[in-house]
Amino acid sequence: MLILKTLSRGDQHGYAIAQFIQQASAEVLRVEEGALYPALHRLEVRGLLKAEWGASDNNRRAKFYRLTASGRRALEQESAFWDRVAGAVSRVMQMA
Amino acid sequence: MEPVIAAWHRLKALLRRRRLDRDLDDELAFHLAMREAESVRDGLSGDRARAYARRRFGNVTHFKEQSREMWMFPSFESFVSDVKLALRTLRRSPGFAGVAVLALALGIGGNTAIFSLVDAVRAHALPYKDPDRLVALWGNVMRARVERRGTSYPDYSDWRTQSRSFESMAAVDLQSITLVGDETERIPAEYVAASYFAVLGVEASRGRTFLDSEDVVAAPADVTVLSDGLWKRRFGADPGIVGRVITLCCGARSYTIVGVMPPGFKGITDRAELWVPFATYAPAPSMADRGSRGFAPIARLKPGVTMTAAQAELDAIAKQLERAYPATNEKRGVEVSALDVELVGALRPALLTLMVAVAFVLLIACANVANLMIARSEARRREIAVRAALGAGRGRLLRQLITESCVLTALGALVGLAVAHETVVLLVAQSPVTFPSFVTPELDSRVATFTIVVSLLCGILVGLAPGLQARAVDLNSALKDTARGSDSRRSHRLRGALVVAELAMAVVLLVGAGLMIRSVRNLVAIDPGFDPNNILAMRVTIPRSNVTAQDGAATAPPQPIIMGRALLDRIRALPGVSAATLGTDLPLDGGGAASFYAAEGMPATNAQNVPRGYVHRVSSEFFTVLRIPMIAGRTFAESEMTPTSSAIIVSDRVVKRFWPGQDPIGKRIKFGPATSVNPWMSIVGVVAEVKYRGLPDNPTADPDLYLPFGERNSQLALAIRGTVPPATLVAPVRMLIRSIDTTIPVYATASMDELIGSQTSQSRFTMWLMGIFALVALSLAVVGIYGVMSYLVSQRTREIGIRLALGASGGDILRLIVGNGARLIAAGITVGVALAFALQRLVTSLLFGVTAANGISVAAIGLLAAVALLACYVPAVRAARVDPLHALRYE
Repeated sequence: MLILKTLSRGDQHGYAIAQFIQQASAEVLRVEEGALYPALHRLEVRGLLKAEWGASDNNRRAKFYRLTASGRRALEQESAFWDRVAGAVSRVMQMA
Repeated sequence: MEPVIAAWHRLKALLRRRRLDRDLDDELAFHLAMREAESVRDGLSGDRARAYARRRFGNVTHFKEQSREMWMFPSFESFVSDVKLALRTLRRSPGFAGVAVLALALGIGGNTAIFSLVDAVRAHALPYKDPDRLVALWGNVMRARVERRGTSYPDYSDWRTQSRSFESMAAVDLQSITLVGDETERIPAEYVAASYFAVLGVEASRGRTFLDSEDVVAAPADVTVLSDGLWKRRFGADPGIVGRVITLCCGARSYTIVGVMPPGFKGITDRAELWVPFATYAPAPSMADRGSRGFAPIARLKPGVTMTAAQAELDAIAKQLERAYPATNEKRGVEVSALDVELVGALRPALLTLMVAVAFVLLIACANVANLMIARSEARRREIAVRAALGAGRGRLLRQLITESCVLTALGALVGLAVAHETVVLLVAQSPVTFPSFVTPELDSRVATFTIVVSLLCGILVGLAPGLQARAVDLNSALKDTARGSDSRRSHRLRGALVVAELAMAVVLLVGAGLMIRSVRNLVAIDPGFDPNNILAMRVTIPRSNVTAQDGAATAPPQPIIMGRALLDRIRALPGVSAATLGTDLPLDGGGAASFYAAEGMPATNAQNVPRGYVHRVSSEFFTVLRIPMIAGRTFAESEMTPTSSAIIVSDRVVKRFWPGQDPIGKRIKFGPATSVNPWMSIVGVVAEVKYRGLPDNPTADPDLYLPFGERNSQLALAIRGTVPPATLVAPVRMLIRSIDTTIPVYATASMDELIGSQTSQSRFTMWLMGIFALVALSLAVVGIYGVMSYLVSQRTREIGIRLALGASGGDILRLIVGNGARLIAAGITVGVALAFALQRLVTSLLFGVTAANGISVAAIGLLAAVALLACYVPAVRAARVDPLHALRYE
């Protein structure tokens, strides 16, 4: 979901996605960066992402990922689901 | 949707694997480079920046592997690597692979061959439109038991007009017709109703078939249809054949050719080369005889009508006819029978038996290969343990082993397929059973599917045995234990069980083969009631001369161009001929017809057992030439050799039925009921019963009635006894007859031994194949027990060494090992004999005069036991010669 969300802001390569998630989450969600790639490839195989080779900011060859239409739909579903769950969890936490 | 997309992506990736790998490498390298560059910007030195980047990233190989897996069909790719591994392993042990593939090729190839035969006979047997709706209609007669016979034209017409179950119905009967021309010959021809071709759904390839208006009994049209073969052979494939006129039959009648049938079509009898309208079958008065039993029509069921429904309808019609015409139709029924059963059904029990036999051979081969696999997996215990230690799951290991065995069986299937086709073609060609010409076993998709399924099943079966073994591997001991002495008992038990099973199945096959051999021996040993040795049988048709008597009297019948007995005299004069005789038909040549008769002074009988006999007209020396014993009286005198003579010779059954214990000579019988106007005939002689109409016995227990041959018949059956082999007499006799007149056709030449042989052909066919299968099974089983015993010996070398060191003699060791083997053999034979008894029902229909009880030949089992013991003895001797020092140092 985080990957999909990141890409909804525009096409990115793997390194930039990793950077963005770390920074946006204020370094809370910092895992081994390599774990990103199996996830990216899984999403690509499932057709939620499309990949293209392009030039990075510093003019190196990099693989850019773009959200597909079905990727966008999946993101909507998942974020709606997440909102419900997170809302429910926080309500429970507040009540306790 | 998503799984489909994913599969599609993976499929594409499969084709671009290399590029994908490179891309992945690049992608990850880019990531690392970016991180490193950033770290350098943050002030880290080159090496430390690289190390930091890697630390942040985690295990590069691991993630690379994981990413790659996203693109793969994991099961498929590991399958491919399993297959590769299996092929590598097999290449490393070519001996094992060779033996295993050979055994499996024998088993799978044999199964494929027999299956393709079964399939050809069973499924797509008849080359007609919608063959499952075709039926044959028999006019059954309820005598002592129900007898299958033909029907009469009036009955057929009534069935046809009154029934509603059939789309169409057609009379058909095979006869031979003389085709007069440059070379006069007898041609197998079907007399068929105009509807015949429509019933089968076959059309003429040239011209047309018959019109209804040409098939009218009162005014039959002289038209004919040719087979493609005859058209090419006799008429040079003349494109203008339709409309040509040919001369058929003995009286020179002209027939107009109206059509040619497509290639391969030979009618339902599979022999016809010519068709003529059924209306010409017999003269109009005979056609009107409701009591005759000439032919069995065929019919096509309406769509959706079952055979049972059709049978019920015809039963009702037959009942009506019985009430309307009690004189001819009492106790007469109809039997509806599927046409494919009629045409190829007789082959099925034999083929089924062979299928079971060959399946046994395959099972034995599988057991053998499984045994080999177990032996190998014992040797590979360490390899397997290492794999397990490296994290291979039990299931994964099992899959590896099964893949390996499937690779073996697939190789076996390939080799098997290659030989199966050739074998089965050879089988059909060489078989003493004549397969219908449309039975062409092919390696079609069904046979291929069968082979693939069978080989997969075998692969799983074979792989499962060592696989289960591997399950029990104890990692610790397997890795540590370099010794081979303390190996598992389970393995021994399993391998022992396999050997017992192999031996048991070999016993079953040996017993089966033994039964067939005995049965055939019994068949051959049957006394046919005459002496068939050195007898040549042939048929000739003497044309009538067109010229009537010289005085021009129109009433004089046309005369034969040569009298049969004059012909006989000329034949007897040939060198190599010791005797010759003639009649209207000979034993086992398929001729002859039954007539009802009545014995003088005997009370009337009911329709179920009206006396009936088969009538043959024979010359006076018939009985001496064929060596049929004369029980009482004499043969015909010269003065009795006329068509109107009242002398008759009967077979023994007539006397036994009507005049037991009395002198039969001079007693009188007549044809038809006692009240008929037919003349009484006096018995002048009584002869022994002959197996005239079939072996092992006549189909019905009717006597034979012999009348003097009166030169009225134009079709003669000659029996020529030679002092030389009958085959060498064919050419001189043919030459002689041609020299008399070129328009006399000679046909159906065969030695009496051949005629007898054709009666037992199916049994011999089954016997052959069973024999071959049994031998293959025996050798496989022996190889199996040899393998197990020598493996056992090599495993126990150390134990044997200790025993020897402790003072056991070589003899003791020999006894120990052979005793071990003997226990297995005894168990195998016991199980096998029990199994053979259980399965004997399967083959009883194929047997004559044997049952499993007396058929289990001690010799065959003795042979098996002896060979198997020998197979144990060889490794046992090796064990006894073990040098204790060497054995103890064996590790």
